[in-house]
Amino acid sequence: MFELRNISKSYGGVHALKDVSMTAEPGKIHALLGENGAGKSTLMKILSGAVQKDSGAIYIDGIERDLSSPKKAKNEGISIIYQEFSLVPELTVAENIYLNQLGETFWINWNELYKKADGVVKSLGFSLDVKRKVASLSVAEQQIVEIAKALVSELKLLILDEPSDVLGPREVRILYQTLEKLKERGVAIIYISHHLQEILEISDSVTVLRDGKAVSTVKNEGLTGDKLIAMMLGKVLNRPKRTTPALSSEAKVFRVSGIGLSPSFTEIAFEVRTGEILGIAGLVGSGRTELLRAIFGADTMPKKQLYFNHRSFNSTTPKKSVEWGIAMVPEDRKKQGGFLTQSLRNNISIARFDEVANRLGFIHKAKETSRVTGLTDRLKVKCASIDAPLGSLSGGNQQKVILAKWMNSGADIFLIDEPTRGVDVGARSQIYDILFELADSGKVLIIVSSDLEELITIADRIVVMKNGSIRGEVGKDDFSEEQLLRLAIEEKEI
Amino acid sequence: MNLIRIKKVFYQNDTLFIFILMLLLSGVVTDNFFTVNNISNLIRQSAPIGLISMGMLLVILIGGIDLSVGSVVAMIGVAFSLLSYEVYFPVAVILSIALGALVGALSGYLIAFKKMASFIATLAMMTMVRGVGYLLSKGAPVSVGSHSSDILVLGAGDFLGIPYAAFLLLIVFVILFVLLKYNVLGRIILAIGSNEEAVRLSGIAVKRTKFMVYVICSILTALGALLIVGRTGVGTPNIGIGLELDAIAAVVIGGASLFGGRGSVLNTLLGVFILSMIGNVMNLLDITSYLQQIIKGMIIIVAVLFQKNN
Repeated sequence: MFELRNISKSYGGVHALKDVSMTAEPGKIHALLGENGAGKSTLMKILSGAVQKDSGAIYIDGIERDLSSPKKAKNEGISIIYQEFSLVPELTVAENIYLNQLGETFWINWNELYKKADGVVKSLGFSLDVKRKVASLSVAEQQIVEIAKALVSELKLLILDEPSDVLGPREVRILYQTLEKLKERGVAIIYISHHLQEILEISDSVTVLRDGKAVSTVKNEGLTGDKLIAMMLGKVLNRPKRTTPALSSEAKVFRVSGIGLSPSFTEIAFEVRTGEILGIAGLVGSGRTELLRAIFGADTMPKKQLYFNHRSFNSTTPKKSVEWGIAMVPEDRKKQGGFLTQSLRNNISIARFDEVANRLGFIHKAKETSRVTGLTDRLKVKCASIDAPLGSLSGGNQQKVILAKWMNSGADIFLIDEPTRGVDVGARSQIYDILFELADSGKVLIIVSSDLEELITIADRIVVMKNGSIRGEVGKDDFSEEQLLRLAIEEKEI
Repeated sequence: MNLIRIKKVFYQNDTLFIFILMLLLSGVVTDNFFTVNNISNLIRQSAPIGLISMGMLLVILIGGIDLSVGSVVAMIGVAFSLLSYEVYFPVAVILSIALGALVGALSGYLIAFKKMASFIATLAMMTMVRGVGYLLSKGAPVSVGSHSSDILVLGAGDFLGIPYAAFLLLIVFVILFVLLKYNVLGRIILAIGSNEEAVRLSGIAVKRTKFMVYVICSILTALGALLIVGRTGVGTPNIGIGLELDAIAAVVIGGASLFGGRGSVLNTLLGVFILSMIGNVMNLLDITSYLQQIIKGMIIIVAVLFQKNN
């Protein structure tokens, strides 16, 4: 029996997990459910030794254990299978299954290796040519190899992170069969998923995480999808509200059309008015980020058509988009948004130098300083100086700097992906204030967020995406997390 | 408290301190280091590699590498010497620099627009350009012709006792210093090395900037080649083998990050002088060149380890 007791973890002052307790019993499937960012992955990384907990304890069969490294977790019989498989594509099935043991003997007895590997695969109820390269296998087959790999060392607990996301319906059946076999062997299974139907079907019990806290743990008896949704949502603190201003007759329209994120689905088209905040909801992988990137020209989208201020255009590169007054704040601040090793000054100036530099590109430093400090003061950026590197700031302040960059560039249309990811609660409301201010000053805001409550707080209108197309649109008067979640999750139209 | 402050000043200027340390050490262990003749000789020797290292710094700042500089030095030397029989000095200089720019343009095109790894693209350019140098010179050194003997003045002459080469080095230094500190292009170069994707998503023509950096590096390398021809009077096709590594070493000793985004022109030049002082002093001490190589390598390791620990 695996017990997590009062596990807490925070990243730079932001609580990812707070006092989370849960148990996993041998021969049972325990599901872990929660919205994006609820802390599911962090919790499982702690259990598998990839991330260190700040406080709390892990007990195995009643004895406290140290799981501070992946190796230690492995020795306790804990294996985790991520969505991204950790197989070596160019090696055979047998080599992958025994990868961790291959170096233990000087000579490899290939015949024996193949025989043993074949035995393991058969014990799961499958037959696979173990001499095939993993690269030639289907995703479902690769998943079986992953499970077989976990089985060859002592396996007491198997964690699966969104295992069905990569599988088709028939393949999901295969996965269920495999899990049944593991249950018979007395393996404890933790199954992370946001597919309610799946959880209802296969789990023995469910723990729901919300905002880093374990909201409840229930047995799968008489559970319904509605009950699970209710548990996932809950209510927390009140956030600032903005009353949608009446659309003035001067409002201009920003129109997007011809975006096809997936050939089999309908093209995306919508419009937003200046002064309006459009929210985009949907699960990870629903195409929200891709939509913003397509509008911005970060990825090529040949048939895209944009329209703003009585003019049609198709900006095929970020450079052209910026010239057209479009700005994008990407979801991954570290990789795409900012220059962590560079000064705030350079981070803010970079998208538009012409106000502070002459035609030869020489920068008038005093002008730049006053412009940049003007923005950092206005957005209440906490920093030692504007020459401090961006990386020395907290997540919330970094995000303000990225917003400042685009305000400095004079953009009219703001595409913002996850405005408050990695931002603590205090700075969050400041960022909302900035967004409201931008909208009130007549900018167009299109905001993607995984946090439904956030969208309800800031948006005037929300469209919900699923599988690369728009599933529905909800007006401000009809905002409810339940409605949004239903559109984002459920298979059929409601 | 005071100690902490001293430590901080020291760490922030570590290359400068290593430079001063080397300078003092050089004065102590040799009798004739601080003579006008030796110092002017040292500057003359350091100027070409100084120019090249500054070009290399720009490439390293954007997270790239240029392995072709040694070959460019050889080819431009040969090309200039051959041209010097045909055309007048200024024309020969301009054509040589243009040829250098062409090499940089080719590398830059492959790296920026064809997304080739800089290591691979410039490795290919390294062998190709070296081959062109041998082809042009038929494998033998080419003396400078009568039309362009002015190059010898550039290489060996001085003004008020200061070698012309030093002025050239100083001019390029000032231009690059200002460029990196006060110019938009410099800002973008630093930003590309820090996070290329973020620069692209800020609406900046990343490819064009990267392309330009390789062109600038090759132009500076061509200038360095001209200084070498001016000093020796010949264009030698097998000169400059391994020069790219000296330039990289100077940049690294100057505290630049090989991942890009961090580095300074001043420290790079100090790095160049640290390296050439090591060679100079060991020559004065009559240490064999084989031993010199070993010691040089050791000093590079020590200098970089020292910076790493900060």
